[in-house]
Amino acid sequence: MLLRTELSKFAIVIATAFTLIITSVTASAGSREKAKRIHDRLAGVPASQAVLDDMVSDIDGIGDGSGTFDGTPAGAAYTAMQNSAFYNVTLKNFAMPWTNREFTVFAPLNDYVATFIGMVRDDVPMNQALSADILYIGSGGSIPAYSNSDNAHYEALDDQGVNLRDNLIQTTQSAVTGLDSSATAGLMTTRAAAKSFFIAGTNRAMFRFTMLNHLCHDMEQVADITRAPDRIRQDVSRSPGGDSRIFLNNCIGCHSGMDAMAQAFAYYDFAFDADNDPEAENGIMTYNGPGVVDEVTGTRVHSKYFNNNSNFDPGFVTLDDRWSNYWRAGQNKLLGWSDPSEAMRHGNGAKSLGEELANSEAYARCQVEKVFRAVCLRDPVDAGDRGQIDTMIGDFITSNYNLKQPFAQSALFCSGS
Amino acid sequence: MNAPAPALRQLHRLERNDALRSRMSSFLLWAMMIGLLLLSGCGGGGGADTTSNPPGGGEGGGDYNGPAPQTADVQAFRLALWENVRDENRCGACHSAVGGQDPMFARSDDVNLAYAAAIMPVVNRGDPDESLLVTQVADGHFCWLTSNEACADTMENYIENWIGGSGGAVNEIELSIPIQKDVGESKNFPDDSSGFSPIHTLLTTYCADCHVDSVDLPQQPYFAVSDIDAAYDVVKSKINLDTPEDSRLVVRLGSEFHNCWDDCTANADEMETAIQTFSDSIVPTEVDPDLVISKALLLGDGIVASSGGRFETNVIALYEFKTGTGSTAFDTSGVEPAINMTFSGDVEWVGGYGIRVTEGGKAQGLTDTSQKLRDRITLTGEYSIEAWVVPGNVVQEDANIISYSGSDTSRNFTLGQTMYNYDFFHRSSTTGANGDPAHSTNDDDEDLQATLQHVVVTYDPANGRRIYVNGVFTDDIDETEGGNLSDWASNFALVFGNETSGNREWEGTLRLVAIHERALTEEQILTNFEVGVGQKFYLLFNVSDHVGLPDAYVVFAVSQFDSYSYLFEEPFFISLDETAVPNSVPMMGMRIGINGREATIGQAYRTLDTTLEAADYSAASGLSLSPTGTIIGLEKGPESDEFFLTFELLGSSSNVVVEADPIAPPTPPDGAPVSDIGVRTFDEINYSMAELTGVSITNSNVLETYETVKQQLPTTENAQTFLSSHQVAISQLAIEYCSELVDNTTLRDGFFNDGTAFNFAAPPGTAAPLGTNWEFQVVLPLVDAVTQSTDLQPMAVGPTRTDMRDELLALITRLGGSGTATNSIAKGTCAAALGSAALLVQ
Repeated sequence: MLLRTELSKFAIVIATAFTLIITSVTASAGSREKAKRIHDRLAGVPASQAVLDDMVSDIDGIGDGSGTFDGTPAGAAYTAMQNSAFYNVTLKNFAMPWTNREFTVFAPLNDYVATFIGMVRDDVPMNQALSADILYIGSGGSIPAYSNSDNAHYEALDDQGVNLRDNLIQTTQSAVTGLDSSATAGLMTTRAAAKSFFIAGTNRAMFRFTMLNHLCHDMEQVADITRAPDRIRQDVSRSPGGDSRIFLNNCIGCHSGMDAMAQAFAYYDFAFDADNDPEAENGIMTYNGPGVVDEVTGTRVHSKYFNNNSNFDPGFVTLDDRWSNYWRAGQNKLLGWSDPSEAMRHGNGAKSLGEELANSEAYARCQVEKVFRAVCLRDPVDAGDRGQIDTMIGDFITSNYNLKQPFAQSALFCSGS
Repeated sequence: MNAPAPALRQLHRLERNDALRSRMSSFLLWAMMIGLLLLSGCGGGGGADTTSNPPGGGEGGGDYNGPAPQTADVQAFRLALWENVRDENRCGACHSAVGGQDPMFARSDDVNLAYAAAIMPVVNRGDPDESLLVTQVADGHFCWLTSNEACADTMENYIENWIGGSGGAVNEIELSIPIQKDVGESKNFPDDSSGFSPIHTLLTTYCADCHVDSVDLPQQPYFAVSDIDAAYDVVKSKINLDTPEDSRLVVRLGSEFHNCWDDCTANADEMETAIQTFSDSIVPTEVDPDLVISKALLLGDGIVASSGGRFETNVIALYEFKTGTGSTAFDTSGVEPAINMTFSGDVEWVGGYGIRVTEGGKAQGLTDTSQKLRDRITLTGEYSIEAWVVPGNVVQEDANIISYSGSDTSRNFTLGQTMYNYDFFHRSSTTGANGDPAHSTNDDDEDLQATLQHVVVTYDPANGRRIYVNGVFTDDIDETEGGNLSDWASNFALVFGNETSGNREWEGTLRLVAIHERALTEEQILTNFEVGVGQKFYLLFNVSDHVGLPDAYVVFAVSQFDSYSYLFEEPFFISLDETAVPNSVPMMGMRIGINGREATIGQAYRTLDTTLEAADYSAASGLSLSPTGTIIGLEKGPESDEFFLTFELLGSSSNVVVEADPIAPPTPPDGAPVSDIGVRTFDEINYSMAELTGVSITNSNVLETYETVKQQLPTTENAQTFLSSHQVAISQLAIEYCSELVDNTTLRDGFFNDGTAFNFAAPPGTAAPLGTNWEFQVVLPLVDAVTQSTDLQPMAVGPTRTDMRDELLALITRLGGSGTATNSIAKGTCAAALGSAALLVQ
């Protein structure tokens, strides 16, 4: 470690250097400059001269006879995505905010993020992200085994700087966690997701954050007060503070659709010892499988679905995990549900709900726009950008939801001119 | 008072059952005579094992010198009814031997004769609210209060107290054929208030002395405020667009002579003309002819669902807030003296019975009438405070909901709110004069919610204080032992929504308050909770035309939920023809219509998809359609809003509803051009420095520094958000990486060595300054690394190779001149390059 006096002295020097040098940044780009930016944006780190040479060769349509899309500009992007930092840095920080309520990137690696990274690496169709029985675990000699009751396995991978490109192993949740395969729902049933969104509360958080993180719509954006309110649970006051206008003009807009779909999570919980483990570090996701009866509800439905059930006695009483998508009609039809001729779709459990959500156009658009933002460092601002987004959405779907595709296309689109 | 002995309790029960049977018999007979269907209703029941009549509170109770009551029932009549009505300022002025007006049920000379005169038809023991005594005062016949409804409720309670209380009443629903009318054209209030302007002019001209919020004694509703939109919003329920002459604004002037500005008839005509003009400007809403609709009903066309079943045997103060106007909430318990509560500050009536207290308002009784509480409760040594409340929020603290107190520091009892908790202060021999320590609900349970709740607090010496929310004991045990109430003060006042001083403001709505002189049991509390609050009507929507059955109805229980909506619940299908049975009648997509159109919001039954099967149907109870309730927005008011039902499919009638596709939002305009470059973020910076220097990110010194500065590094790529603090953190990390690089022989030789050894240990001036060894062995390797350039392949973006080289060489010159050690100069030079924009910008 350097002495504090040295640090302060150098800091001044460096700050001066930064100021001077940043003024000389220019924007004209040839193949080499494009290659640099593509690599910077995808891997997050500078490329070696050899890698740059390879990428320039692809951009110039020559290629070196190896690699995906060799001899095409896309080959340059795929070369950049070979860098381990694409997985350890770019994808990790891309997904980390989805795994907690604070949207912080400053959280240790977890099974949610690792599974996402692994799915991208292995080109697993991303429309399975909310429904598949899939899990990625790490390998390494001193890495503790996966545990249902802590995150030590992934924290060790993080602390040891393990190369995630090379050391993630695909498996299934049912094999590792013991969760019945029919109850698995991709990222939603990872331990990290459960710890953040099944903990306490009413499980509406899992729906809200899934909509926010994977369909890029928060509840205010999908609120539709014209939907049937028959599935709104008893805990929602119909006259908050004595004024039912608030319910009729606000609450009903989100809850009518949300409660009908969040019913899919009726059997899940994240159990923890609130007294001795208030941060729930050792909590465990639970699922009331067939034959399990909650002592409060007398059914498989978790008691949290009956919180504050005297707030509005004629409200909806949850008896099972049957969900309904009321947002297939009305303004939220614009979310582009699969098979849009169906004005209503029902299902049971998180897996089928995950399929419903992840096969919507909004889901595909959300993935593409998130990638565009991460790579181009900005939102789409003009017709050119919007056209590019539309193209990428189509390509993303036709490529069987391969997320590397929009990463590569975005990097090329924003590689400068 | 002690609980009655078992034998006595049994006797009471028998008597009550006899009375009940008697009432049932007469009721059934009457029901059969008029050909109505009797349904056994839901719940209700409950009630007490014992009944006890409160001692009479009549003003003349102490000076009766006539014959003694001949029977126990006459004695009960005397205590509960006769003592309260025989004074000259009540019925005794006329219906007495002195007044000579028959029936002389209020005569003071002989209670037995008065009793005989009070028996039917003056008093209907089977149906107290149908008693002539009640209906007469309800019509304004010598009502001694300013509210006829309050007089009627009080008189009804007198009678119920006499005949054995209401605790054992069975809640019965009696369905009868309602008025049959088609859904008519209906005029609805336009959103734009401009047409209301002439009416507004009258209101602001003649009503602004009271009906505005800025005068000393403001009178709700504030329809005379200068803001026309605000006035329009609150006056709608006072205007009848379909029959302007029935508007409350007109009736109040023309028939009730309420503050006319000169001639009442002329004033009423002027108001009616203005309303007629407004009404004429509105195009009526015609019901869509394609709809499959039921007949139409007003709320008042429904059948009143008896609110009986409440346990009120020991109630000594009761507020149902039915009056709806004026500035007094009447105690209609029938137990004298009535503690009538006078409003001050911001207190307003709310629809569906209730008052809303805000911004320091309160409703307070007189200390002498309030003394009733002290006098009666200290005799029993126990009591209950029961209320239907809607806390306005869950952030208010030290807020008094119901208090019997004298100041901020002295009270007999208080039900209060602290955020999510109910607090119960109670003075006794084991607590302080301020009723402390308070007994409160548990913080974690968050029992108090900002929604309609039934809350009961009870006290008795054995159990201490207990709190029940929505019929359930909160499990909070009073840690203070029970004591006696001998220290209760007699000069306190009952107050709602505040302290008598005005220093304990509570914001919220009270929809019912009852003070009982006994601690209610859990069963009694649950009974009262299940009865609910407010007036409920059964609306029978005729659908015979569609289902092919006589007298076929879809029935809803409907009540005014608050000032802004109606609650529709418990829908069921029934035919009042006992021989009719539905046979596989499809029913789908039911919606509630109001004033000629389907309500836009709250259509909970639009998802209904069922078939009415004979196997599921009972002639007595019909066929339940849904367990779910919903609220529908109030439009014109409960007197004017006309309801009907529509169906997508009902029997042989159908109306296929196809929702139009939503319109896609327009393409947004192009935004301003934004930078297409940004800065690397924290992990990218860390990994980039590791990549360039070859130092591992897990190097202990690097890791320690990184963990220290990690959250100080940029987290977003947006260069606009780059701060000096970011640069400081980058500098620290760069210095650490460079320090590890320069101090590690292998790494530095690999990085800096151009084929000739560079002596990092040399003293200043030997390896330096400005020799070509510095330029080629230290500076250019750094420049090429961070700019990703070589001498043959310079990078055209970012700083030029020569610019950066010259800058770093100048830095070395300055550092060398100051005597800095060689390896430190190398570290500084390295850090200046590594921490510069050349690496940071992407």
